[in-house]
Amino acid sequence: MIIIMEKNKLVTPEGTKDYLFEEAVLRKKIETKLRDAFELRGYHEVVTPGLEFMDVFTTIENSIPVEQMYKLVDPKGRLMVLRPDSTMPIARLCATRLKQEYVPLRLYYNQAVFSVNQSLRGRSDEIMQTGIELIGVSNKKADIEVLVTAMKALQNLGIDRFRMEIGHIGIFNSLISGLKVSPEEKESIRFLIQSKNYPALQDVLNGLPYSEEVAVLKILPRLFGGQEVFEKVESMVKDPSILELLQYLKELYQSLAMLGLKEKITVDLGIVNRTDYYTGIVFKGYVEGYGEEILSGGRYDSLLQEFGKDWGAVGFGVNVDSAVNALLSAKDHKLRPISVLVYSEPEYQMAALEHVESLADQGIVSEYSLADTQEEAVFYAGEKGITRIDLVGETVKIINR
Amino acid sequence: MRPIRIALTKGRLEKDTVRLFEQLGFDCEQLHNKGRKLILEIPDANLEIVLAKAADVITYIEHGVCDMGVVGKDTILEYGGTFFEVVDLGFGRCKFALAGKKGGDFYAGYTEKTIATKYPNVTRSFFESKGMDVKIVKIEGSVELAPLLGLSDAIVDIVETGSTLRENGLEVYEDVTDISARLIVNTVSLKLYKKEMEQIIGLIEKAVAGCGKDGNND
Repeated sequence: MIIIMEKNKLVTPEGTKDYLFEEAVLRKKIETKLRDAFELRGYHEVVTPGLEFMDVFTTIENSIPVEQMYKLVDPKGRLMVLRPDSTMPIARLCATRLKQEYVPLRLYYNQAVFSVNQSLRGRSDEIMQTGIELIGVSNKKADIEVLVTAMKALQNLGIDRFRMEIGHIGIFNSLISGLKVSPEEKESIRFLIQSKNYPALQDVLNGLPYSEEVAVLKILPRLFGGQEVFEKVESMVKDPSILELLQYLKELYQSLAMLGLKEKITVDLGIVNRTDYYTGIVFKGYVEGYGEEILSGGRYDSLLQEFGKDWGAVGFGVNVDSAVNALLSAKDHKLRPISVLVYSEPEYQMAALEHVESLADQGIVSEYSLADTQEEAVFYAGEKGITRIDLVGETVKIINR
Repeated sequence: MRPIRIALTKGRLEKDTVRLFEQLGFDCEQLHNKGRKLILEIPDANLEIVLAKAADVITYIEHGVCDMGVVGKDTILEYGGTFFEVVDLGFGRCKFALAGKKGGDFYAGYTEKTIATKYPNVTRSFFESKGMDVKIVKIEGSVELAPLLGLSDAIVDIVETGSTLRENGLEVYEDVTDISARLIVNTVSLKLYKKEMEQIIGLIEKAVAGCGKDGNND
């Protein structure tokens, strides 16, 4: 006897799952809300391929780590990946098909991204992301527009307890460029700031000759909070280029505070992630009860150059699946209940289906019973909790249970 | 506000942490008489204490179901993860070391070396930094057995006093890195509960700095 092993046919791959009912409905709702918000602000949808050449994501300055991408080989032997990021392919398409357009380009996307995560850590390898990119203009107006859109997007989702955090990668870059250290040391300092490893950062920086930059870098990971962050750091810094960046960030912070959401905005000067393509402002959105950021974005003024177009850009993405998780636990999300069961003898099926149509026209959710007898249909309605049965024959008879 | 939830690594680090909490004046009654309970309270400080295995502490922090935790640097190096590592608590000190049979010359010759370890990631990155290919064998129990039985040329393991090594005719070839207990924090909790979290972190930092001074005076 031959036993064919098909042990994987009943399960989904690790890091993926089926979305059923409430989850699927909520996911669609969130996508729709975000879509509406973006379209009403003049953004237009683009869809990029799920399968792309790996080269798009391994540009010189901004490579996504190869081990984090799902890779395939096409019939010609070229390396392909399942889309690991939406911003990079959008940069590619802007620098090619849209290069003749007037800027700014306002684009939005709503598509899955794939990443290889360490197994057994409870992470998703397939994540639905919805976000915007505002391309071709690098000014304060653009930064504020995108930040406000991000705040409104989170607010519109009905998440009460959210927080937006803004920072500026240029502050760290200016500080570190003033130090005489090797690229490896720079990277180690950056990592210690990112992970807010206060003691190890002290050790490394204490080994360097004292300067204004060193003093600020030492406290950089602790510089998060509200308005007081600016006051604290301004008193320490004399470098006009850094003061200018701080002033810029402060103005953004104050503009957002004017939206009446002041308590929702915080500043963190210690956001210095390496894998980012960001060159200017960076921001993240958090919600209470969820352990990771659900929104992240920033300004990326060098990414499009890698594809041959000298355009700056700013944008953000919302992790829709995280938003689903955050909202699913926070609120009741009921499916639309079936209000009416429509039953008929076989010879009246066409009339019954027309009755289903007329109910649908009135916005009433009904279901055509496939039962063989009226008793079976009544029993079924009881099981499913359907309180009204419409019996269709020469006339329609309504039974309320 | 809900209580701040702190995950402690069961065992020695737990005892050291409880001692630290007592120094801070927390009511550790429940931590001393925990019975079989896994979630305990420090009522006066609005804290909840969760007891877990080392690697699980990281998992709970990463997912945000616990806000902060105490875990050894050894576990952080082996398991990695995304969190803030804010305080070196100073206790639980030991080191990762490369060790093997006494008198052996580990780096001699060009044959590929076999390393037995409970910490394959630490071992891999140590030899990667040396640009050296090694074969790594994961061992769950007493790693010292592997070189004695001839399975491996050396081990990478945690060394405290070195007495187990000595008693079995092994010695440290090279130190890999120092280890101590760390206070780690969920990246979102630190922002959302800034005031409460910074208050606790501040207290702990102060106590730890005080301990360091006492130690120096001795």
